[in-house]
Amino acid sequence: MERQAIIDRFAHAARDPLGYAKAWKERTGRKIIGSFPMNFPGELAHAADALPMILQESEDQITLGHGLLFPFYCGYTRSMVDQAARGNFDVLDAIMFGDHCVQLLGAADAIRMQLTNTRVIFFQLISSMCDPWTQGRSEESFSKLKAELEDFIGAPVSDNALHASIRLFNRNRGLIRRLYDMRKTGAAPLGSVEMQHVVKSSMIMDKAEHTELLEQLVRHDEQARPVPTRNVRLHLSGHFCQAPKPEVLEMIEGCGVTVVGDDLYHGFRYISTDVPETGDPIKALARWYMDRNTGAPCPTRVQNNVDWDAYLLKAMREERAQGMIVLMAKFCEPHMYYYPEVKEAFEKAGMPHLLIETEHESMALESLKTRVETFVEVVKHQKVAA
Amino acid sequence: MNIAVKSPFEEKKANKLQSTRIAGKLVNDYWEMVWRAKDEGKLVCWYEGSAINPFLEAADICWVHGEAYSAMLAARHQEGTAQRVAEERGYMRELCSYARTHLGCAVSNQRLRGDNAAAAPDEDDLTWKLPPPDMIISAYAYCSTGQQWDEMTSRVFGKKIPIFNVSLPWIWGAKPDAGYLRGQEWEETSTYVERQLYDMVKFIEERTGKPYPWDRLHALMADIKRASELRLEAMELCTAQPAPASFFDWVVSIAPINNLPVPGVKQYFETVLAEVRQRVKDGEGAVPEEKYRLFFDGIMNWNKVGWLANKFARWDAAVVAGRYTHMAFWQEPGLIDPEKPVRGMAQNYLICPNNHAAPILIDLIMGLCRKFKVDGMVIHASRTCRAFTNPQFMIADTAHKQLGIPTSMFEGDVTDESFYKDELLNSRVEAMLEAIEHRRMAAAA
Amino acid sequence: MKKHVMGVDFGSTTAKTVILDLQGNIVAHSVAHMGAVSGNGVKQSMAKALEMAGLTQADIGRTVSTGYGRRMLDEADKSYTEITCHARGAVAMVPGARLVIDIGGQDSKVISVDSNGLVSQFAMNDRCAAGTGKFLEVLARAMEIDLEDMGDTALRAKEKLKISSMCATFAETEVISLLAEGHPKTDVLGAVHKAIATRTLGLVGRVGKKGPVVMTGGVAKNPAAVHYIKEELQMPLTLPDNPQIAGALGAALIGLDDYKAENKRLLISGDEDMAHEEQMAADKACIPGCRGVPELATNPHEKQPVKARTSPAPEVAHSH
Repeated sequence: MERQAIIDRFAHAARDPLGYAKAWKERTGRKIIGSFPMNFPGELAHAADALPMILQESEDQITLGHGLLFPFYCGYTRSMVDQAARGNFDVLDAIMFGDHCVQLLGAADAIRMQLTNTRVIFFQLISSMCDPWTQGRSEESFSKLKAELEDFIGAPVSDNALHASIRLFNRNRGLIRRLYDMRKTGAAPLGSVEMQHVVKSSMIMDKAEHTELLEQLVRHDEQARPVPTRNVRLHLSGHFCQAPKPEVLEMIEGCGVTVVGDDLYHGFRYISTDVPETGDPIKALARWYMDRNTGAPCPTRVQNNVDWDAYLLKAMREERAQGMIVLMAKFCEPHMYYYPEVKEAFEKAGMPHLLIETEHESMALESLKTRVETFVEVVKHQKVAA
Repeated sequence: MNIAVKSPFEEKKANKLQSTRIAGKLVNDYWEMVWRAKDEGKLVCWYEGSAINPFLEAADICWVHGEAYSAMLAARHQEGTAQRVAEERGYMRELCSYARTHLGCAVSNQRLRGDNAAAAPDEDDLTWKLPPPDMIISAYAYCSTGQQWDEMTSRVFGKKIPIFNVSLPWIWGAKPDAGYLRGQEWEETSTYVERQLYDMVKFIEERTGKPYPWDRLHALMADIKRASELRLEAMELCTAQPAPASFFDWVVSIAPINNLPVPGVKQYFETVLAEVRQRVKDGEGAVPEEKYRLFFDGIMNWNKVGWLANKFARWDAAVVAGRYTHMAFWQEPGLIDPEKPVRGMAQNYLICPNNHAAPILIDLIMGLCRKFKVDGMVIHASRTCRAFTNPQFMIADTAHKQLGIPTSMFEGDVTDESFYKDELLNSRVEAMLEAIEHRRMAAAA
Repeated sequence: MKKHVMGVDFGSTTAKTVILDLQGNIVAHSVAHMGAVSGNGVKQSMAKALEMAGLTQADIGRTVSTGYGRRMLDEADKSYTEITCHARGAVAMVPGARLVIDIGGQDSKVISVDSNGLVSQFAMNDRCAAGTGKFLEVLARAMEIDLEDMGDTALRAKEKLKISSMCATFAETEVISLLAEGHPKTDVLGAVHKAIATRTLGLVGRVGKKGPVVMTGGVAKNPAAVHYIKEELQMPLTLPDNPQIAGALGAALIGLDDYKAENKRLLISGDEDMAHEEQMAADKACIPGCRGVPELATNPHEKQPVKARTSPAPEVAHSH
């Protein structure tokens, strides 16, 4: 398939995930299991022969949702309750999640009351990552989730099936990581919006279908030649649940920026870590859950012996990035808590960064552009001074 | 009848319980003790959320509850400095203001020990006075903020302070056998937390270097159990009409039951109970003229305790119960066996006012509304406390549908007064009271 | 090469123009009030400045625009963000400045500048009216006071009232409430200005409190705002004479830099020019000091014209 056609397929699913879900259901007659970010292992639902789908923030203005959650909640949770209230989630057969961000809990509670015909399955994952009981409790959580899933589907999920799903998901992640490597060196002609389509569609589409298309895309891009540019090289950080709006990404790149790396959820966080392919699969999933936070530390977890700020500075060096733009979703508490540490670390290291607060509602792109332009000017004369 | 036509300078004030003044004194004594702790060579433990203080008090460790410190600053209108320091460091205003205030104190403290060691702080500035921790214990039910706040505190202190995490899962209550204080999920979760508390005790032993004095804990818990029973009995008496005490009296009584030294707490509640009993006998109410009875949902606005108490008194509205006071703070003393208290303590932590998911939580609230025969509900939508605001729309909806009572929401916050919108409170509550009045007139006709 | 450059700050409520000569001196400047991002106001401002300087647009060698409308100005050769321009202008007006506080009509910003006068970090509030000139405008209307008188009135505040709302709309409600309670306008205005200072300090915190501090933007002309900000900041505050034109000045200065860089060869001063000529002549002269007119040859060592010889000079073959 032509490269653009592949990207278009990804973009189509990314823009209308629930539409994709409906079509998939009609085609296959199987079940769809939605989940909230961040740590729900889609492998479990996949092994149960269902389509696992990470629920996405929608473009729509919040209307009915404001009768369930207050406006001072992050855009993701408000969009979730809004979509539920409008009936958009009727295509889902069940919703599963394990994460504990307090706003997410509020959204889930409200959604359960709204969607009386949809089973909402919850088993809280431990968020304190370096306790002696972290591994054990994580295994317990995944076991419980698996048991409820089996009860819901009405059939057991075998270890063999789980292993097969794990292998497939690992392959998919590995291929996207290949694209990330190529982007670092400038070999892959992937803008940040295209990269988002790639990752986001992987959260939505049938994994085998997505992997097949991905293999083709990687082959295309492996043959591309790096294009020299005078853009500044920047790393994008933030947004642990929802995808940054494409207009924002385009605006940033339009100011003479090449995004060479990121630690967005719709980005490196989704693909950073693989699940061990041998041994007890539940133990393997627990291992994956714990390794994810070492691989790309998330402020939604607490782990005293892992520093997100140090990780970011290291990423900057590996990506040869000249600066970082932090995309902070408004009202995202975990991000607001950790940000001062990151700010201090970057100032100490003399590494420029810019904070942009994003919102679900439309933002004044012109004034954001002013900030990014100024930041690019700052980075450029830092480069000269260095 | 137009309730809004009242002189804004009307003199009706809340008829506060006399005994709550003792609470004020006990609180002052306690903070003085905290401020002396370093001089007395005591170990200091910072914690928030769950009341693990008896564990610490038994081991002779000076315990500091973060929210309590922030609330104290706000109540004394001295939260500004801490909040400003926090904002300068980059903590944004949309963060839990308890955390922001407390982190501001932590940052000030670090600065004091760091490059500003020469700068002697103003003796009156309470921001600086909070002694730094020798250990941090995080045991926060439901709200992810609590755990993250403790972790960031640890980082403000350069990660040099040992930190212990107790994970408290949310009670989802989906299974058929799930209910308040029962079901398999309840039992398993209680066991999970109980085990962690034993590990926490080991952590305490490592810090103190001494074997843990279990018998001291048993004695303290016996007193807390009794104090809690007394408090609940006194609150129960507010089913009387007029209600002898109000939600605001119970708010002032939070400190004694939640985080003050145990000796003195039992006696305090004995005094409170006696006064409440006397008021019932005399037919004396918490407001000069009780015409309306209200339930208060949401956390307290600590900058405005007195202000709000008087406001409702002016409206002849007795706020008789609230989620924050009635569904918290050792509210199930029956679960505690003083000889083997840990499981009962774990369970009381698990029933913090937000830790049940909506079906069970809402049932409990409706039960309280019925018991206290409320005419309406006031809902405090606290800007930075989303743990409390999460279920509020569902609560309001259920109150309308199941109880047929009106509700009104107002905007405020825990300790950041810039979020409080007085006009909204005024117009909405007045409208609600008018609606109640009209309904009564229609029923009487 | 032309002899002047122009900087235009196409702001949200006012347009400012500054014209500089090639030495960087301000030759003319003007401020025009206008509707939001209006082309007319800008044209007026530019026309006035040109008139004051006795120039036409054709005399301007380089025009740089800044501000919200910077991309809308056809006459501009280039545009830079108002952050970069305000920083540059402020440092030009107050050399050595390290922190710029700019409170304008619709937004407020704090910029930290490095030792070279270049932007190091910045923080902006451009999302809501609180703490901006707009805030004052709204409240002036509510209190029936002239905007120009607000500052002086506020300075007479006696009782320390508090306006705690962060939102301009709700702050207005608080103001009305305080007035209804009988508090005098002076005290209420004092509280309003304190609120602006508090908001500004929040921005300063994000960027770091490092002096010397300069204040620019329209609100810098408000003595009460300056007073309260200084109090909150607990640092001395420098006010340039013409704080409003900082952005336009910065734009013009950046324009001047660019123009000079591009026209290096044309930019010789009178002395440099002579020195260059001397060198060229010395290189070409057959006899020392000859500049093609032997009778007027000067001996560079003597710096005196050599007296004309009475006898003809020896024949020199002029073969070049």
